[in-house]
Amino acid sequence: MFILDDLLFRPFVGIVDTLHTMALDELYDVEAIQDELKENQLLYELGDRPEAEYRERKAELEDELEIARDVHERLTSGRIEVKK
Amino acid sequence: MNNRYVYGIVDGDPVEFKADAVRDAEYVYTISHRRLGAVVSDVDTTDPEETDEDARRHDEVLREIMDHDGGRAIVPMQFGMAFETDRSLKNVLRGARPAFRRALNDVEGRIELGLKVVREEGEDVDDEAIEAHVADELEPIAAQSVPNDLFSDRLVLNRSYLVEREDRETFDDAVADLEEAHDDLTFRYTGPFAPYSFVDVTIGAQR
Repeated sequence: MFILDDLLFRPFVGIVDTLHTMALDELYDVEAIQDELKENQLLYELGDRPEAEYRERKAELEDELEIARDVHERLTSGRIEVKK
Repeated sequence: MNNRYVYGIVDGDPVEFKADAVRDAEYVYTISHRRLGAVVSDVDTTDPEETDEDARRHDEVLREIMDHDGGRAIVPMQFGMAFETDRSLKNVLRGARPAFRRALNDVEGRIELGLKVVREEGEDVDDEAIEAHVADELEPIAAQSVPNDLFSDRLVLNRSYLVEREDRETFDDAVADLEEAHDDLTFRYTGPFAPYSFVDVTIGAQR
């Protein structure tokens, strides 16, 4: 029975792991944050975003980027444990 | 300050000048191996953090080299290339010599210019027609061009162009004409830059 359990259970766990990783990927999307940083810069340069708002948004996005990079580093090194 | 921060690679006579350089260095000079030279400033780390200020200094030093002696060709490095010793840097100059030579040939006498075409917020425009018009006007003048990321919904076009120095004015005029023809759009025309987008030499891994 152990072998049967193992076979039935493992693919399911694999999918949960994958979904969880995908969710983390989406939540901490490095590329999307980098795009938003560039857009923030562009809008400021075009005069469409006031300096105060630009600076505030830039600081927020830089913090988000640092967290996102950290999460990705942990994901790839296996240091984030996915709860089952 | 025993490490060397590299801005780019030049051919021939060494470049040296006083500058507001990366991590508060005040002097930019050349470390050569035969005819190839790495333009550097002294730095106290091999892993400098990319602050806004230092990124700007990196670009400005490159721009100054490009204007040196009536226009020097330089293969620009991305921000952050720093070497432990002169010897390790010379080893890279020796090892990557053919790649640097090719890249120097590609950029000799040329500058990089950037163009972003931006729509108004929520405005619906014919992106393809605009792209085609810009291409018809600018591609014949440019030596090469490459597309860049459309990182915002407002971007209709984002491209870098490699242009002969002597064609700069013709290119400026063509951009001005395009701007006039599309007064519902904003044209953000930037440069000249060192030709980052047109050289494919990275030396970080060989530090």
